[in-house]
Parts: sequence; C-alpha cells; structure tokens
Amino acid sequence: MNDTAALPFELERRLTRFVFEEARLLDERRFADWLSLFAPEGLYWVPSEPGQISPTDTLSLFCERKPLLAVRIERLTHPNHFAQQPVTRTHHHVSGVLAQRSSQPGIDFEIHASLIVAESRADDQRWYAGRTTHQLRTNPTGCPQPFEIMLKRVDLINCDAPHRILAVPF
Amino acid sequence: MRVSPDLMNHPPLVRWRPPLARRLAPCPLMPSINPADLFRDDRVHRAVYVDPEVFALEQDRVFRTAWLYAGHESQVPSAGDYAKVMLGPDEVLLVRESNGSLAMLHNRCPHRGSCLVGEPRGHLARFRCPYHAWTFGLDGHLIGVPMSDGYSGELDLRDPALQLTRVARVESYRGFIFASHAASGPSLQDFLGSLASALDNMVDRAPAGTLTQAGGTLRMAYRGNWKLFMENATDLVHPSVVHESSVAAARTHREALGADPQTAQTLQMLLSNGLGMPQWAEVPLHADPHGHVYMGGFYKSGVIAPARTDPVFERYRAALLERHGETETARILGVDRFNNLIWPNLSVNARFGVLRQVQPVSVNHTVISSTCFRFDGAPDEMFDLTLQFLNTASSASSMVASDDLEIFERCQRGLEASVDPWIDIRRGRAGDSRAADGSVAAPGTSELPIRNQLQAWLSHMQAGPRGTTAR
Repeated sequence: MNDTAALPFELERRLTRFVFEEARLLDERRFADWLSLFAPEGLYWVPSEPGQISPTDTLSLFCERKPLLAVRIERLTHPNHFAQQPVTRTHHHVSGVLAQRSSQPGIDFEIHASLIVAESRADDQRWYAGRTTHQLRTNPTGCPQPFEIMLKRVDLINCDAPHRILAVPF
Repeated sequence: MRVSPDLMNHPPLVRWRPPLARRLAPCPLMPSINPADLFRDDRVHRAVYVDPEVFALEQDRVFRTAWLYAGHESQVPSAGDYAKVMLGPDEVLLVRESNGSLAMLHNRCPHRGSCLVGEPRGHLARFRCPYHAWTFGLDGHLIGVPMSDGYSGELDLRDPALQLTRVARVESYRGFIFASHAASGPSLQDFLGSLASALDNMVDRAPAGTLTQAGGTLRMAYRGNWKLFMENATDLVHPSVVHESSVAAARTHREALGADPQTAQTLQMLLSNGLGMPQWAEVPLHADPHGHVYMGGFYKSGVIAPARTDPVFERYRAALLERHGETETARILGVDRFNNLIWPNLSVNARFGVLRQVQPVSVNHTVISSTCFRFDGAPDEMFDLTLQFLNTASSASSMVASDDLEIFERCQRGLEASVDPWIDIRRGRAGDSRAADGSVAAPGTSELPIRNQLQAWLSHMQAGPRGTTAR
C-alpha cells in the first residue's frame, strides 16, 4: 500500500533526482558507484513474465541481491569478458517519475517511472521499453547517498520474448 | 550469406520454411548437397553451420524425422487445455482431448491455412478459425463450415483432407511428450536408448512420482547455428577460457557468496568453470548411437552444486525415503550426470528438474528455450534452487551463458569467411573406447560429443525423409 498524497516538493525533487542519477551512473559505466546505491540486502530484479508476482515462483531475466550483483559489476570490467568486447553503450531515458511514501515495512518510498533504454554494441542497436519500480529506504548514515535501494524492479514490455545477450543492467 | 546487422533487437522473425519446390517434391531426386562430403570423423565442413541449403535439408531430414520433445503432460491437465509448441519447423498444438487423451495438431486451418490460435496457451471447448469460422473438435475433427450450401453438396465433413492435420507420431514417456513428423522410424523407446534414464531420474527425484511444469520459460537467442549450442554443452575444454571473467569475479567475492545458502549454489556454478584440465578430463563422457551424449561423475567434487545437508534437503530426502526406501533413494540421488543431450535438440538436467531445448530459426539464428519442473511431493523450497539454476545458467543475462552466446556468434561470423572450409574435430579421438552396445566412452576433454552428434546428423541427412505427416 502506498500513500498517494503529494510529497513535499523538496523531498519529491530529491527522490526524482535519485532515480535520474541512478540511471546516469549506468550510462557512464560507473558500475561500482551504481552498486553502492543498493542496500546490503537490496535486490535488482527483472521479471520474465508480465505482472510477475514473485521471483521465487517464476524465472527471472535478472534476480540478484547485492553480493551477486557485485560479481556481475566486477565482471563487467574484466579484460576477458568477451561479451563486452567491444563494450555496450547504453542510454537510459527515464520519465514520468512518480514518487510516493510506502507503508511497507522497511521501505520508505516507492518510485514508479517509465524507462526506454537504447543499447549500442558493435554496429548493433537495440531498444528496450518498460516501467521501473524503486523501493527506497532512507540511508541510516545519510552518506554517501540519502537513500538506499531495497528493490529496483524493471518490467520490460517484451520480458517474455527471446533475448540476445543482456550484459548491462537496465 | 553474411548476417546483416540488426536494426532492432527483434527484427521481424522470418522462420525458415522449405522452398515451395521441396514441399511439392518431398524426395528431391538430386539434391545439390551430398552430406557425406561435409563430415568425416576428423573434420566437418563449415557449410554444415552456415549454408542455408544445408539448413533447408536438415529441416526435412532431421527435424521432420527425429523424435522431438514437444511438451509435458502437466502443461495441459484438463480437457480443452492447449499449449502452442514449435515442433521442428512447424507450429503445433498440444491438446488435452475430452476423453483425457493427448492430441498434437498442426495450428493450421485446412481451409485457407490460417493459424487457429494466437495465444501461447489457453483453454477452449473447440477450435474456431478466426478467418471463416470453420470449427473443429479438440481431436481435430471438422464440426461445421459456414455457407456449406456454397459447395453444392460436394463438401463432406468427414473428408480426411478437411480435418486438422495430426502430427504423425506422438508418445509420452513418463509425462514427457515426444513427437515425430515421420510416420515411420524407430520407436521412442529405441530412439531414447540409454538417455531415457535421464528422464527416469528426473521423475524418480519427485517424492510423489510425478513432475509439474512451473516457473514459466526463459528464452535466449543468438545469431548462430543451432549445432553450436549442442556441441558446446559437453565441451569441457572451453569453460576455463570462455568463462574466465566470471570465475575471476566469483573468486573475489567467494566469502560473501558462500556464507549465504541462497547464493552458495550460484557461486559453485561460477567457480566450477575454473577447474583445471586434469579435473575436466576425469569427467567421463558417454556417447549413444542415436547421437545422444551425457557427462557423468559431475557432482563428485561438488561441481555445479554443493552437497546438501540443510533442513529443507533433509525433509526432501525423508519424503524420498518414504517412497523408495534407503537403497533406491541413495541410487536416485547418486545419479550425477549433467547435460544429458537428447539429439538433436534437448538438454536434460535431472537433478535440477530442468530442460533446455534448442530451436533452430534459420541457419544463423537460434533460440534456447528453458523450462523447469516442481518435484511433486518435495518441499516448496526445493524449487527455489531450480529457479536459481536456470536464472544463473539460462537467462540472456547469465554471467555464464552470455559469454557462450558471444562465442557462438563469433564462430558463426568466422565460419562465414570463405577461407579454409574445414573445422578440426580430432581432439581425444585416440581415447574413444567403444562398448558392445555401440556406445562410446571418452575422457571429458575429448571432442567425442561433437563427432557423435555429427554422425547422427549424417545418418539422418543421408537417409532422406522417412515419411510425410499423417492426417
């Protein structure tokens, strides 16, 4: 359940900015910085079915908590990651950001946004579209980021289609 | 022959269809290709991977004759349930008939050829063509035709040509449904040979004795020939090279991942690719006369999955003991075969309840479709590891498979170059040891699986079409 009442302007601006900056870190291939936005138990999840309820009853395109995500991020910069020779360039277009308070235990805010990703690698350009859901909690230390990601969920419109290599997170 | 760069990631998917001439004449008198010229025990010609003519012939002679996995009984539990399946080059429907039996029907109206259903699965009482409303029963028989007076009495509803076309042969093996477009040929049991035991082992691992398909499907695609996946699945020299980056990253994070049972299995999978050649050589390969292959002794050193003693597993083991007793339970859990490849296009992993099927789309475009099963009667949590296994191994994002897919695409591009046309497949040839039943064993680092798969390929390609689809 989310509280749909309008957030104070300044708070909404900070939450929206967090989502924009999170996407920019991926586009700039600052993967370690991107990973640092996740809470220790934070989950990055891309379901394989429209409206999928859970990652534990159905397969997923990505389903990684921070420790496993750390392996993925480390691998992205390995010189012999062959699927990244040459590297994938991405452009995340994030719009329609809607931030709400969350009443879910351990979650302070839930942010919905529209996402289009253009991906380019070796003369091959691909497009992905979908919606993102960020569940954030206020970072207890307040540093380096004011919020921590408990969940980033990406619902692609073609989540159940055959996919070629998905190397870089959405 | 070169693949043109994609404008989009999912261009309109043009599935290969036999040229009209070949359809009209299913037994071409003089095909331009002689398959025997393309493969010898020590080498294979690049045309086998890149030539559209070879692909066309394969669709006739391999995918329209061999037994192909076509679904699981649990996908269609109730009368009227259907699931759309690609059976070789053709879209067919797996249907549960009113009397409880299974039908496999071409998704094609005999009137103007329109596909009858569009959804991948569903439930209906009868089929109704969306074009001119011809209706058919669940068994494919023609029920009614609008404007039947337009036929001046010439139209007989019982005319065999007006019924939905049934796939020639359909058989279920312990819930796994296989089908063949050929009206004759070896029985399913003969065809499966020693690989039937891989399916047995998956069913035996379910305490209730049945499996239920669950968890959806993951599909990954690559721009390369379908054989590249099958040949790689039992190639044990590639892992430490191709997967170097995930091995290195996993080693760095070994402690954090190993502490959590949720990630310990994934860690093991990533690390296992870093085994040395002597360890891989100890994995025995087994090749079956029909082209099937499996790797044995795979879990002995904890490869792929750690040995389990946790409470969930103990509850699972107790349920198995109740059904099978001590000795049989130990035997079932002790089967440590990995990547049981049922030629031409199925990979079975019994321990995790996982199937991976290779779907050729065109000579240089392949889709890998992965599905999984719940072991009926097992604790729900056992399914978590099945999902984790496929998420880690068979998603397009997989830290393992993505490098394999990249290599398949590089092989395809390399083989399209018209330099030396021959590919060397001699590795380990001197170490092959043939048993009386025709099976061959070799150490894990041998290229025996590639030679064995191509041998089956050649015998199908030389045999020609075995028959046409029955009505």
